[in-house]
Amino acid sequence: MIIPLLKVTNLSKSYDNIVGCKNISMSLYPGEVLGIVGESGSGKTTLINCLSGNLEPDRGKIIFNINNKETDFLNISESEKRKFIRTDLAFVHQNPRDGLRLNVSAGGNIGEKLMSVGYRHYGNIRSLATKWMNKVEIDKSRIDDLPITFSGGMLQRLQIAKNLITSPNVIFMDEPTGGLDVSVQARVLDLIRSLVNELNLTVIIVSHDLAVIRLLADKMIVMKNGTVIESGLSDQVLEDPQQEYTQLLVSSVLHV
Amino acid sequence: MRKTNNVIKIKDFKVDKGLPFDQEYNFAYLDENTKKMIRRAIIKALCIPGYQVPFASREMPMPYGWGTGGVQVTASCLTKRDTLKIIDQGADDTTNAVSIRNFFKKTSNIKTTEITEKATLIQTRHRIPETPLKKKQIFVYQVPIPEPLAFLEPKVSETIKMHSLSEYGAMHVKLYEDISKNGHIETAYAYPVKTNDRYIMDPSPIPKFDNPKMNNSPAIQLFGAGREQRIYAIPPYTKVKSLDFEDYPFDPFKAEHACDICGSKNTYLDEIIVDDAGNKSFICSDTDFCNKRKNK
Ligand SMILES: Nc1ncnc2c1ncn2[C@@H]1O[C@H](COP(=O)(O)OP(=O)(O)OP(=O)(O)O)[C@@H](O)[C@H]1O
Ligand SMILES: [Mg+2]
Ligand SMILES: [Zn+2]
Repeated sequence: MIIPLLKVTNLSKSYDNIVGCKNISMSLYPGEVLGIVGESGSGKTTLINCLSGNLEPDRGKIIFNINNKETDFLNISESEKRKFIRTDLAFVHQNPRDGLRLNVSAGGNIGEKLMSVGYRHYGNIRSLATKWMNKVEIDKSRIDDLPITFSGGMLQRLQIAKNLITSPNVIFMDEPTGGLDVSVQARVLDLIRSLVNELNLTVIIVSHDLAVIRLLADKMIVMKNGTVIESGLSDQVLEDPQQEYTQLLVSSVLHV
Repeated sequence: MRKTNNVIKIKDFKVDKGLPFDQEYNFAYLDENTKKMIRRAIIKALCIPGYQVPFASREMPMPYGWGTGGVQVTASCLTKRDTLKIIDQGADDTTNAVSIRNFFKKTSNIKTTEITEKATLIQTRHRIPETPLKKKQIFVYQVPIPEPLAFLEPKVSETIKMHSLSEYGAMHVKLYEDISKNGHIETAYAYPVKTNDRYIMDPSPIPKFDNPKMNNSPAIQLFGAGREQRIYAIPPYTKVKSLDFEDYPFDPFKAEHACDICGSKNTYLDEIIVDDAGNKSFICSDTDFCNKRKNK
């Protein structure tokens, strides 16, 4: 039997009296890509922030099981939690500026995560950074340039490299192509897809865009008013949505 | 009764009465309650090497940036039997050093000296003397910015967390950037160190040439930041290691010159333009050391 890498039970989070997300239960297996869709304000960001440790939920359970080691995410000390986040998780922000240091070179940004997990050999850090620039299709001659000299698409690819370099076990992405010009969205999406396939990544990705989910996600959940109203294999949900809301979503987006 | 200076005796800190000098001031300017509060911070700092202890910094009769933190630490440690030396950039005769020395002469009437070996308490800005510090000496640094992580993380609540959880990886980003830009670690002043294998610490803007002198020193080293209200310390015989990379080890760089006055080849030198033609001269920044060597 395969043990889920991530098991979430009855997770809830509200902001004062506004519901963020409510009674969310789900599981994720190694190598799976889970898509989260739903209208604006449906709780996607709240959920992904709770799962990645950016937000403290009010109730529920989050259990990670990595290399047969169980981590009760909401019941460990802060130092254990920060260490776990640093070594096992990664978060790709919608706005790459939120995930990068703008006053630090591209190489320094990519290398920071290595240094934060203990790398102390400049030459090794540099060559791994170069390798990852190559992987995300940024010319390695740009390694010492500041991020402000990069285009939006390059910044997002840089952020992705920075996050993947330490081989995290779960990668969270909140609308990773949402802030990009339509013309560069496809390229970043392609890159994510090829990295997911090549490295067999486990990913939770939030998107408004059902085309993104269709392209990347094995499984998906549909959120509305903070709850999950439909879930299943992406192909099934997109081909044969059961809920009226999902039907509306699919028909309005996919068949324009 | 004879007293030794290496043990801080509570008795030494009693209120001093009947001062023979300017009666308007309490001994060493600060009132005894303030000194007590600062001494508590100092003792805590000595117990947790490299950890920044907050303290309630007082208004001093000099502007921030002129060593108010160092002055408060010195004032709190000073006893009547102390011999005080004040240096600024290695020199005893610069404006800043002279005014702080006069301040303590006026408010405490203690002996002062320019000779490193004779001093029991030394306050410094930007240098550690060339003459090795010894047992029973207290060495006080003036600190402008105590937080070595400030350039990475502006939020104090976050830097406190980073220290408490030893989240120091990002510190190396700065060194990485240096090497990428210059081929070597360019940071020449305030070069960060790890104290007692635990806390990363800003040694104040001393040249990195002086960093090795902090390691395993027999003296008590105290750091005072007035504006930022922090005190930290290195107790005697404590490991102090400058950060580096395995393949770019720490290098306490020194100019390839000998001192033009005393001929010393292994001291920190100031570069001085000596004439209108732009000719340069290199002389020891530690004036006491240079004078002694010249006169030998
Ligand atoms: N910091 C906050 N304080 C108060 N309410 C919040 C906060 N963040 C989110 N909310 C509310 O929680 C609900 C869920 O918001 P969330 O940001 O999770 O939605 P979302 O699905 O990510 O939306 P979007 O697609 O617009 O990013 C919304 O009603 C939102 O207004
Ligand atoms: Mg959102
Ligand atoms: Zn000299």
